[in-house]
Formats: sequence, structure tokens, C-alpha cells
Amino acid sequence: MSRSRRLWLSTPVRLAAGLVALFVLASLATLAASYAVTRASLAEGLRDDLRAAVAGYSAAPTPGAIGDLVNAEAQATDPRRRIISYLSPDGRRYGNGYLAPGEEGFRLYPLEDLQLENHLPYLAFTARLRGGLLTVAASQSQIEDLGRAYVTLLLVSLLPSVVIAMAGGVWIARRTGRRIDGLGAVLDRIAAGELSARVAGPHRRDDDLTVIGERINDMASAREAATEALRQVSADIAHDLKTPIQRVSVLLERLRGVEGLPEEALALADKAGAETEGIAATFQALLQIAQIEGGSPRARFALVDLAEIARTLGEVYAPSAEDSGHRLDLAIAPGPVRVTGDRALLGQVIANLIENALRHTAPGSRIRLSLAEDAGGARLAVEDDGPGIPEAERGNVLRRLYRLERSRTTPGSGLGLSLVAVIADLHGAELRLEGADPGLRVAIDFPAVKKSSPDAA
Amino acid sequence: MPEAATQTANQTATRTRSGDDMKILVLEDDRTTGDYIVDGLAREGHSVDLLTEGREGLIRASTADYDVMVVDRMLPGLDGLSLVRTLRATGNRTPVLFLTSLGGVDDRIEGLNAGGDDYLTKPFAFGELSARLAALARRPQMKAEETVLAAGDLKMDLIRRRVTRGGVEIDLLPREFALLEHLMRRKGRVQTRTMLLEAVWDLNFDPQTNVVETHISRLRAKVDKPFAQELIETVRGAGYRIAE
Repeated sequence: MSRSRRLWLSTPVRLAAGLVALFVLASLATLAASYAVTRASLAEGLRDDLRAAVAGYSAAPTPGAIGDLVNAEAQATDPRRRIISYLSPDGRRYGNGYLAPGEEGFRLYPLEDLQLENHLPYLAFTARLRGGLLTVAASQSQIEDLGRAYVTLLLVSLLPSVVIAMAGGVWIARRTGRRIDGLGAVLDRIAAGELSARVAGPHRRDDDLTVIGERINDMASAREAATEALRQVSADIAHDLKTPIQRVSVLLERLRGVEGLPEEALALADKAGAETEGIAATFQALLQIAQIEGGSPRARFALVDLAEIARTLGEVYAPSAEDSGHRLDLAIAPGPVRVTGDRALLGQVIANLIENALRHTAPGSRIRLSLAEDAGGARLAVEDDGPGIPEAERGNVLRRLYRLERSRTTPGSGLGLSLVAVIADLHGAELRLEGADPGLRVAIDFPAVKKSSPDAA
Repeated sequence: MPEAATQTANQTATRTRSGDDMKILVLEDDRTTGDYIVDGLAREGHSVDLLTEGREGLIRASTADYDVMVVDRMLPGLDGLSLVRTLRATGNRTPVLFLTSLGGVDDRIEGLNAGGDDYLTKPFAFGELSARLAALARRPQMKAEETVLAAGDLKMDLIRRRVTRGGVEIDLLPREFALLEHLMRRKGRVQTRTMLLEAVWDLNFDPQTNVVETHISRLRAKVDKPFAQELIETVRGAGYRIAE
């Protein structure tokens, strides 16, 4: 998004623009109303004036007397302001300008009818007097001046307000924009697992952004405390239970070392040892899931080559798959397929998916590890042609320690797919379990790597 | 009673080997585990000191000269991470192997960042601990310019990427070559499955299936099977090694 567009989208600028528009509309309405009222009263005054002027001549007894009066008055009158004209019954004209008389009453003379410099319409009042027609016309310049005065008033009062309000809006937007960017950056860091991130402060003012910042800090502190508590509890449980598990395995190893032990006892000790290892592995996986769900490994994310990891794991598992009568096919895109993530965890995901497929399919089954890349990101999938998982059960297998009825007897902690799910989630990837007709297809779609990210070391 | 917990086990232990003796400091607060480590290491001929308290451990580690240390991450008094950080800050470079009950992804990285050299999650097999300690204490063993490795009649030319045994050329895949080279460079020393996964494939996890075993058996089929004498030995409960 461009800088100017972001500025326009910011709340203060939009508020300022809205307020300015409202202010301009209200001012225009007020000015228009006041202009209309003033103009009407000016026009009314002009009409009264003209009526009074005409009435002044009614005292004269004859058309000749009116003519003389008109001439005398006209000489002292500037035709640019006022024109007095009398057409006597015998057709003689008097006055400082000739206005062709029409009907009695008021009418407007457009400027082109006048041979005068004043290019303004005149308001004329014509009355029949002593058989002749007396017309007094006054320039409307006053009313036109009023219009100009209002336009000037508009420009002088409104324009600076608009400019100042918009500039103020932009300035506030820039300032709050920086603070909002700061809040956003802190939220991003928290989301990325950096729970110690805090909004800088304290600000002088107790404004809304400061309050939001404080709330973000409160939230982050609460999350940090909860994560720390979870970590502590996990650590305590791990310590309190793993130490005895360690002791049991120590004791079993000692037991094996006792001389003269019958073969049967040795076999039992071996079995017990294997069980202990199973307990430890389950523990390990639970602790790992808790830690990954805390989100902290995200802080270590880097650009990694998923194709290299997939090829390595394909190679690691190839002989095991062959020995157990499986066929492990690789369809991995040539060249690097970059994802943002943790190499060890991504390796664990692929290992778990391959081990799952090996464990739950009969010898002779085919397992296919594929990795492709398109504009949407990297697409990893492990597919087998084994018994698959019934559609209704697919959501359940991601639950912790859940195992299908038929898998109760196969080894494994029941945590393999849960671990895959939390690791996929940590990477912002989408995990899908699909039927492969027959068999199971586990697909993980990773988000595309952002262009701005630096190249992997 | 930390002072009572101190013991030097080498005086009573029967020596089964010589020449490779190391002086080892073990800081572990669980007595059963601690005694087991001390007993096992002493049987291998090492001289071992055991302490159960963090501060005391730090004092001992900075005043005495050890070849390698085993440090539990959770110790009373001063936790293992802080202890090793303090030790490193004072310039002490004794290799440290952390023992942990945690073992999550982060804990491993934390341990290595604090200055630890290796990391082992409880419960562990003694063979794993012993092999890793040996690897830590004798790290700079091989000369870098060595280009031909030999064990018995097996010869490995690292430059020409050729492997021969008794003059017979053996054809190895690139990763089989890397696996054999890793074992040959550490002749006589046990390499555990997880150590091999780390070194040859750069993978840090504990596979639930026998992946490493199958790679070793493939390698054996080429290197050992056609010949009279077995060079790649299996060490029960620990891993593999090339006979010296």
C-alpha cells in the first residue's frame, strides 16, 4: 500500500475530511440564507425608494411641470446610479436617459438596452402621470455588490479553515500513525512468540492510544505469565516424573548386569526397559507439544530448504521401508523449496508422517513422499495405499493420545499426528487428512515465503 | 549435606581400561542417577567427582581441572544453565554435557546457547552418555590434513573418494561413504545412533524406528560381509564403532 493511500485511510485524516465537509456545508447554507434575506430586503428597499421617487412628482399639476421637474432632477443625478425619464402625452422626452416605457409597474432592464458604461441591470418603476409615463430606474449595483461581498466573505473565512483543518488532520494522522505502527509492531512480535515485547511508554497524555497500549502490555504480561506458569508446571512435572523414570531405567540396567540371571529374567528386564522408553517417549512428545503450542520456537524461524529436509528424510527411511517390505517413493521438486520455519521441527514432521505410514500399512504397501511448490507456497504430502482412516475419524486422530481401535496393538504413542498438527500450525501451514482411494494422504500446505525475507544462510 | 555427597569413585572402582582415562565432574542432584553415572564412568576407568549442589559445583568446576563435565540443568542452589554461563564468562572452556528432564526443542537450544557442548535428555542409556562424553573430551583428535584413513585392511581415500579392503574396491553411496568416514575418523570410539543421525544427516531427533540400524547393516553388507574379519562392531546398549 502506498504511503499516500495509507495516510488517506488513517482515521484522523478521514475524520478531519468529514468534519471539514460538514463545516463547509453548514457555512454555505448559513451564508446562502443570510445572502437571500439581505438581498430580499435590499430589493424591497429599492422598490420603496422608486415608489417614493415617483410619488414625489405627482404634486406637479401639468405634464410640462413634470417634465421640468424631471429635467432639473435628472441634471443632478448620475445616470450610472439612477435614470429618470418622462414621456409626456405629446411625445416629448425628458430626463437623463431614455427608457422605453412599457407597462406600469416594476421591471428589469437588461444592460444591453442601455447606452451606458454601467453594465448592470436596472430596476425600473413606471407610473402613468398626467397622461404621460414616468419611469424611474435605479442601478442594481448594490445588490450585485452584496453578492460579491458574500463570495469574498466565503473565500476569506472558509478556505483557510479547510486548509488548516486538513493540515491538522494529516499532522495528527502522521503522529498517531507512528504510534499505531508501534502498537502493531508490538502485537506482531507477541504473535511471533516474543512474549516479552512491550509497548514503550509512559506517554504524557492519558489518551485512548496510551490506554490501548497499556492494555496490550497487560495482555502480553498475562500471556507471558501464563506461558511461564505452563512452562514451570511442565518443567516440574517433567522433573518429578522423569527422574523416577530415569531411576527405573538405571535399576533395570543394573538388573541386567547381575550375574547368573536366568534368560527369562533378562528378557523381562528388556521388556520393562522398552516400556520405560515408551513412557519416556510419550512424555517427551507431550512436553514438546506444550512448548510448541506456547509459540516460542517461532522466534528462531529462518528460511530453510524443505526439499533438502524431505530428501534427507526420504534417504534416512529408505532402507527401513525396504526392510519392512514397503516401497518408499520420493517425488520432491528439484532445487530448493523455501519455507520459513525450524529445520528440526520440519524434519520431525516428515519423520512422523513416514513412521506413521510404515507402522499402519501392511508390507507391500506403497508410501509416497511428495513436495511441490506453486505460487501459494510449498505443498508437502505423504500418501500411502494402506487401510486409510475413515472420514469420520480423521478429525479425531489429531487429538492427543487418540488411537484408532485397530491401532491399539501397534507401537507408538498416539502423539505423532498431534505433534505434526501443532508443528504445522506453528508454521502457519494447513494440515489436511484425505482419503487416497485406498489409503491415507496427509497434506501440509505451507504459506508462500514473503518476498522481503532475507535469503537463507 | 552436600559435602557428604562428594565422592571420588575411582579409588574403589575396578579399572577395565587404561590410557583413555578422563577426569570428570558430575553435577546431579538425584542420588540414584548420580551414583549410576559415577559407577559406570568409574568402571570405564575414569576419575569422577560427584556434587549435588549448584554453587558448590561452580566453585569446584572453576578451581579444579576437569576434562569434561556432566551438568544437570535443574540443580538446587544454582541452576545448570546459570552455572555454565558463569563458568564460560570466566573463560573456562571445559566441555559440558547437559542432562535435562525437559528435552523440548527450546531447551536444547537454550543449553547450547548457554555454553553447553552437548545435550542429553532423561532418561538416557549409560552407553549414550559415555559415548558422548568421550566425543566431547577428545574432540580435536584427528589431524585435518589426514586424507587416507585406515583400519585393519580397510583403506579410505578421502580425496579420490575410494574405499578398498584388502585391495578390493568397495562401491559406496555418498551417504554410506559419509557414515563410514565418520566412524573411521573416530576409530575405537563408540558412536550412538543419535550421534550418527546428527553427524551424517544433520537431524536432531530420536527416531522411533530402527533407521540407523538399517543404514549400518547396508554398510556392513558392503564393507564387512564379503570379508573374514568384522570391522564395524555393535556395542550393546550404546552404538557402533570401528575396531582399532
